[in-house]
Parts: sequence; structure tokens; C-alpha cells
Amino acid sequence: MPSSNNKHHLKDYAPIVTAGVINEIEELARLLGPAKIVNVNSTKEGGGVAEILGWFIPILEDLGMTIEWKVITGNTEFFTITKKFHNALHGQPEEFTQEMFDSYLDNVGKNAPPIPDDADFVVIHDPQPVAMIAQYPNRSNSWAWRCHIDLSEADLRVWGFLRPFVERYDGAVFHLPQYTKNLMSPQFILPPAIDPLAPKNEELTDDEVTAILYRLGVPRDKRIILQVARFDRLKDPFGAIRAFKLIRNWYDCRLILAGGSATDDPESQAVLAEVQDMAGDDPDIHILNLPPDSHREINALQRAAAVVIQNSRREGFGLTVTEAMWKAKPVVGTDIGGIRHQIIHGTSGFLIHSVEGLAYRIRQLFGNPEMARRFGIQAREYVRNNLLVPHHIRRWLLVFHSLKQKGNDDLITLSPQKVTP
Amino acid sequence: MAKPFHFFTEQGIVYYSGYKADNLRSLLTGLRGVPSSSIFYHLYHSLLRRHFTTTDYMNDFAQWVWGVLWQKTLGEKLASFDPLEFTRLRDARARLIEIVDDYVGETEYFLRVSEEQAFYFLCIKSFVYPTGVSAASLPELMQAIQIISPHSLFYHLIESRLRLREPSNDLSDWLKTELDMPDLAATINVLSPYEYNLEELRNKIMAAIQDAIK
Repeated sequence: MPSSNNKHHLKDYAPIVTAGVINEIEELARLLGPAKIVNVNSTKEGGGVAEILGWFIPILEDLGMTIEWKVITGNTEFFTITKKFHNALHGQPEEFTQEMFDSYLDNVGKNAPPIPDDADFVVIHDPQPVAMIAQYPNRSNSWAWRCHIDLSEADLRVWGFLRPFVERYDGAVFHLPQYTKNLMSPQFILPPAIDPLAPKNEELTDDEVTAILYRLGVPRDKRIILQVARFDRLKDPFGAIRAFKLIRNWYDCRLILAGGSATDDPESQAVLAEVQDMAGDDPDIHILNLPPDSHREINALQRAAAVVIQNSRREGFGLTVTEAMWKAKPVVGTDIGGIRHQIIHGTSGFLIHSVEGLAYRIRQLFGNPEMARRFGIQAREYVRNNLLVPHHIRRWLLVFHSLKQKGNDDLITLSPQKVTP
Repeated sequence: MAKPFHFFTEQGIVYYSGYKADNLRSLLTGLRGVPSSSIFYHLYHSLLRRHFTTTDYMNDFAQWVWGVLWQKTLGEKLASFDPLEFTRLRDARARLIEIVDDYVGETEYFLRVSEEQAFYFLCIKSFVYPTGVSAASLPELMQAIQIISPHSLFYHLIESRLRLREPSNDLSDWLKTELDMPDLAATINVLSPYEYNLEELRNKIMAAIQDAIK
């Protein structure tokens, strides 16, 4: 998700994705008409959904839409229960009682924000407000459930409870096909996007990169291997260190593991301590525990890297991969989920299945700078054409068009003009 | 005075068909059962998604069979499948089924992959609309080709053959019938997205128009 709430206009992206692409998105919006769209989530402060809506809403307003952003309120018990829902939908073990499900429904009944009758589209984000659709049995507008969670290993009890509500929606929207469920309504695939104009992705001069790395205590005297990820076992920083030690038999280089460790997450603190312990006093391994707003620092690190790695065991989508690809870096990542979706193996990066494979592919890229350069160019073009803010806006407009059509036809002509020259 | 050529575009949103494959038999089941738009998405639209590069295997079926199932022979057969030979999706689907079915008939062992590595058959809901760009002469066409999006280029070079069920693309048809330029039409019509990516095709078309203007 774009890492900033900086408000940009769609036209600001024309130099990046071409004016032709922007014109087509504007036309798509014009053909949809001045729709009223209501978004509902659980907070306006913090979290990925609030971050997305922060840039998404101004651009849609620019395109002539009327947007309302509402939040569902609740007491501590409600958010404790929905947090457990969240964990269980991710496949983590959680205990539930019938009282918890009843309490959730009771809160939604009392605290769901009212949806205006004149709304054309209602987008409900994540599980917290999902059940509020039951309050609108006679609705005439179109509702979509935007699921930001990987449901592939969802706890059956929680999913079984939520599913009847999800089935009432006119459509559900997921990041990847692997995250879908068998539902009666259409399940749209809408990957996330990065903002090329945000501090995390904007262009930096080489001097700026050097200055930021200097401040972080990282000399630019050797090739840099970088992994950006929170300190979490699922990101396997230990495997990254093992691979680095294999590579160092051949190439003098540095490894940077950059990420954060939330203070309210004891597990991440423990992982960070273990990683630091494994790195020991090796001066070529840099463990950077960065604050959450270190966007320019991450930007500079990605630009300074010779190779970016993502050695995750599990990954939602892997926007750090997208960010690195946008900076024309060859990425070596595990062959899973969103990473596989982004890297074209042997064309824009490498997909790997082991620490040894990781080390081998990095060596290959170090030994073939021309190949690394070529991969980087391909990677940047892939992101330019698929995973930037304008594409995200375009896909949402298409979801709205689809909901409006409501039919099963897969070819729709949005013009009175005959579709021939 | 030539009738102007109006550039259209195709924008599509992807949705899950409900079919997925974890081996060759379930791939075959999917190929037989999915809506036509799924065949279109995996066979043709893949050219647009990777339009900046010519990868070894441009269609999704070949990519999965080669890269995940490690069935090299079938991967090659599927990769050599040229979707531009067909003007009907049903014919393209029938040929695909034939290729996979023949291979399945000759094979004894079927590798099954994990759910994580399964092939998800996706459909695409396509919206076609005019871009507002048009051309009535070669110089105008040159300008238009420079500014249209890859989606518009894809629509006219590749998708129009299916939509109009014509063996040639609609831009070539217009050059032939409205501008009376059969040679230029033929040059553009044989440009293959299997040999060039869409940006290279754009450059090739512009070069051909430039030659014709001279």
C-alpha cells in the first residue's frame, strides 16, 4: 500500500504511466457517472486500510465521485473479538465462545454507521463491519466486501460464521486468487499498489542515498544485499544470514536486514534479539530496527542495494518486493503467494525454494551485472504497468462498473458507438 | 475522404472462475468447464500483462505446465500455441484441450502440486469503450499510435480479431479499405506478439507507417 497520505491528482502520474493510460482511466470514470461511494472500515487512524483510503478517496473525488468514509465504532470487547477473528482468518489458533459471536453481532447492530439511501456503491473493508449488510435487506445499491486478509488457511469456525454475511454482498474483492473462497457472488482479484510519488518511492539523488546510509551507519564500499521486513520468523531473517555467509566465500559484500519490531509484539522483540545474536559482531551484517515512519530510509536502502531479497515463508502480497522492483532492482524471493505473482522467474528476478538457492541466485546476479541490470529494467516495467496507484484506481472503477452491470456477460461495451472503426 | 479510424480500448477486471487445477487432469477439467473469458484471459490477455517483455512462454497455461508441473514437452507444445491463428475462442479452447488430452493419454504419472501452487482459472470481465483518439490519414495515425495506451494497442492488434471474428486486425482492415494501402495493412497484420512485445510492436507499426509516408 502506498506509504504516505500525500494527496496527489491522477494527472500527476501521467509522466510515469503515460497520458494515454490516465486518459483511459478518466474516461472509465466518466462512463461510470458521478457515483456516490461509501467506504466503511474500523479506523481512520493507522493501519493499511486507512492508509489506502487516504490516497484513494481524493483521487476518486477528483474523478467526479462523491465519497464518504465511515467507521464502525465499538468497545474494547468488540475489537478484542474482531482481532481474534483477524488472527483466526489468517490461520492462527484462537479460542471462541458463542457469547463472542453474539457480542460481535450485538455491537454491529448497535454501532454500525448508517448508510445513506442515495449511495450507489458501498465498500466494506475487512471483517469488523462485514455483518452490517444484514441491516439492509431491501437495499437497492451495490455492496462489495474488500478483504485484505489471506483466507487460504482461515479457521473454519470463524469463516463459517462470517460466510453467510459475505454471501449477501454483490461481490468480494481479494488481493490474490489464492486468497479467495468458493462463494456464490463474484470474487474480484485486485492486487494492492505502491505510490511512486510517496516518500518511500520517490526519486532520490545518489548523494541523498549516500547521506542517508551514512546516517544509518552503512558504508557504500561493498555490494549490498537487502531484506526489508519486520522481524518475524515468517520472514526468515536467519535464512538470509545463512545465505549471506555462503555468498561471502565468493564475494565481499554487506547484508542489511531492515525492519521494525512493534513494542506491543513480544515475539518480534525476541526475533530481533535472536537475529542480532546470530549476526554477532560481524561488521558486514547490519540489523536496522527502524521506526515505522522511516520511508525515506527504506527508499535509500532499496536504491543502494545491488540485490534485494525476500526470504519469506509466508507473505500477504509482498509490497517490499514491489518497491524494490520499482527501483529497478533484481529481486530474489521465495516462490510463494504475492512474490510469485510479481517476479517472472529468470526474466525480472529469481524465485527460490531454499537458503542454498537464495545464495546461488545472488551469486549469479553478482557475477552477471548485465543480467542484474536487465532484470531490474524488466522489474520496473512490470510494476509500471501493473502495480502503481493509477492501476489500482482503474481496477476499482472496473469493479464498480461490474457491480453496476450485475449480469453474467463478460464483454460489455460502454459506448453507444459501434465497436468497429 | 477516408472514414476515420476510432481507437477503442479494452479494460478488464479479473475474477475467480471457481475452477483450479493441481495436476494435468484437473487442468483438463478446467479447460473444458470454464467460461470463454477465462480462456481469453490466460491465452490472450497474458500477452498484455507481460507486454513489456517477451518471456519464454507468453501464455499462462504454458508457464504453469513448464514452471510448476515441470512437464517440459507439454509446456513447449502449449507455448507454441499461437492464439492469433484463431478467430473464435471456442476453436482455441478445442485445440488447447486436444493438446493437453493427447499428452495426458500418453503419460503414466501425474504430478500433483500443493494448493499454493495450483493454477487458478480466472475470468475477465472486459469493458470496451472509445478512447476519443481517431485518425483519418497516415500522419494522424502515426500520432495516434504514439499516444494510445498498451490496452488500446492490444485491443486493435489482438482482441479485435476475436471480437470481429476476422483473420486480420481491424487497423489493417481500415488501412486496406479506407486508405487503400494493402501493403502497409499486410505488414502490420503479420506482426506477431509472440515475436515482439507490445512496445516493440508499437515501434514496428510506426516504422512501417513512416516508410509508407515516404
